[in-house]
Amino acid sequence: MKQRTLREKKLKKRIIVVSLLALLIILMTTFAGVIAPNDPYTTSASSIRMAPGAQYPFGTDNLGRCVFSRVLYGGRTTIAATFLLVFISFSIGTVIGMLCGYYGGILDQLLMRLADIMLAFPQMVVAIAVAGILNAGMSGAMVALGITMWVSFARLSRSHTFSIKKEAYIQAAFFAGKSDFYIIMVHVFPNLLAPVLTNALTQIGTTMIGLSGLSFLGLGVVPPKAEWGSMISEAKAYIQIAPWAVLFPALATIITIIVFNYLGDVVMDYMEV
Amino acid sequence: MVLLEGKNLNKCFNDKIGYTNALQDVSFTLSKGEVLGIVGESGSGKSTLLRVISGMIPPSSGSLYFKGEEYTGKKPRQTGEFLQVIFQNAKSSFDPRMTMEKAILENGRGKKDKDEILRLLELVGLEERQLSRRAGELSGGQCQRMSIARAFYSNAEILLCDEITSALDVSTQARVVELLQRLKSDGKLSAVFISHDIALVSMICDRIMVMKDGRCVEQGSTDEVIGNPKDEYTRLLIDSVKRQAI
Repeated sequence: MKQRTLREKKLKKRIIVVSLLALLIILMTTFAGVIAPNDPYTTSASSIRMAPGAQYPFGTDNLGRCVFSRVLYGGRTTIAATFLLVFISFSIGTVIGMLCGYYGGILDQLLMRLADIMLAFPQMVVAIAVAGILNAGMSGAMVALGITMWVSFARLSRSHTFSIKKEAYIQAAFFAGKSDFYIIMVHVFPNLLAPVLTNALTQIGTTMIGLSGLSFLGLGVVPPKAEWGSMISEAKAYIQIAPWAVLFPALATIITIIVFNYLGDVVMDYMEV
Repeated sequence: MVLLEGKNLNKCFNDKIGYTNALQDVSFTLSKGEVLGIVGESGSGKSTLLRVISGMIPPSSGSLYFKGEEYTGKKPRQTGEFLQVIFQNAKSSFDPRMTMEKAILENGRGKKDKDEILRLLELVGLEERQLSRRAGELSGGQCQRMSIARAFYSNAEILLCDEITSALDVSTQARVVELLQRLKSDGKLSAVFISHDIALVSMICDRIMVMKDGRCVEQGSTDEVIGNPKDEYTRLLIDSVKRQAI
């Protein structure tokens, strides 16, 4: 018991520290307009591929644009798109999972077989194919990743709904004359929210890799819009001359993914204690 | 006045191992203010009978009546208007995220009467401060009494008690039994009380029905069944209690 409390305390501390880091990243990208020392889209022929210095903390790229400012603005694009995509997948997947778990029957069979088909293909392969067909920039990349992303939320919420439905308090709600909608919203959803939200946290890192990956391949953000994946893709051509133009957006991607993945992991550990 | 009646109830389950006749030709009546005890060993069909009576599962054949009106095949949403189930594990019959007050109000079918809730709490021996607690913050006995208060709040006329004391320790069991006896003597209780413990049933119930292998082997007043058992199986049940007492 004492050991459990100690572990709980440790995990709580970790959650606070990692959440603060995640918040710092979100705030830095949200207030990019205030923090960024230069305009991320202004090109300058006199400052092409300049090394990091006082005026340009992360140096400049092939068109003389400030890499630091572009990393901040790019983060805004990547993080906003990631959060939006995770939120939409979470909403759609959770609703589908709850309906399948609650009603079962043909609806459950149909949707779960569809989910199995989705899982049969590697997520990135499907995303590349769909993003290529849609050719619609960042929104196309989001749709491409979203097609398979809802599945994990649906499966998780379905299995939790199954076990919640067997609880006596659901039977008690039936005897109280409550409707299916009421039971799903008041008893099922709040009781599966914690594990599904934890899954959403762990999905943030994966989604970020997916979106940056598609942008890197030219299937996401369309230049000159700043985005970490597309910045790396643009700068890889002159990596030997100006490595900072690749290094900083890559570092930003890696750090952000590590922070959000770690946050998901510690929250999951905390829930299991 | 007969409140509840079951006529020739049968329930057959068809699963992987084949057909199981969980209930075979069971009939009973429950009058107003009466407590009917159903006893039998595990697998005798007691809980299946309760699930059939409550509408959780439909009978394969036979009919159910409430005040002479047939309700066979009705689901808990409809049967909940006149009967309520007190579950074996009271804690799990409350949403872990919901306060007791909300859980009781939920059972009022739109009624919001705090005074009545407080009156019911007094009746079951609980305090107002416990209304803001969640199931995890109350003991098993407190939860069981809270579920009795919740059932009464619904204005249902019949309680179906499914092994409600088996998950409780001896002293808490005694308090719940005492509460049921008090409710019965006040004439507030019409209930079907299911238990494997014939000694406990004899303390609360007016009549006893003994079940074995899905059949009713004996039915009568508590004094009759306990004092002069006609069936061999009933005698065995009573003897086993006597042996435990020694």
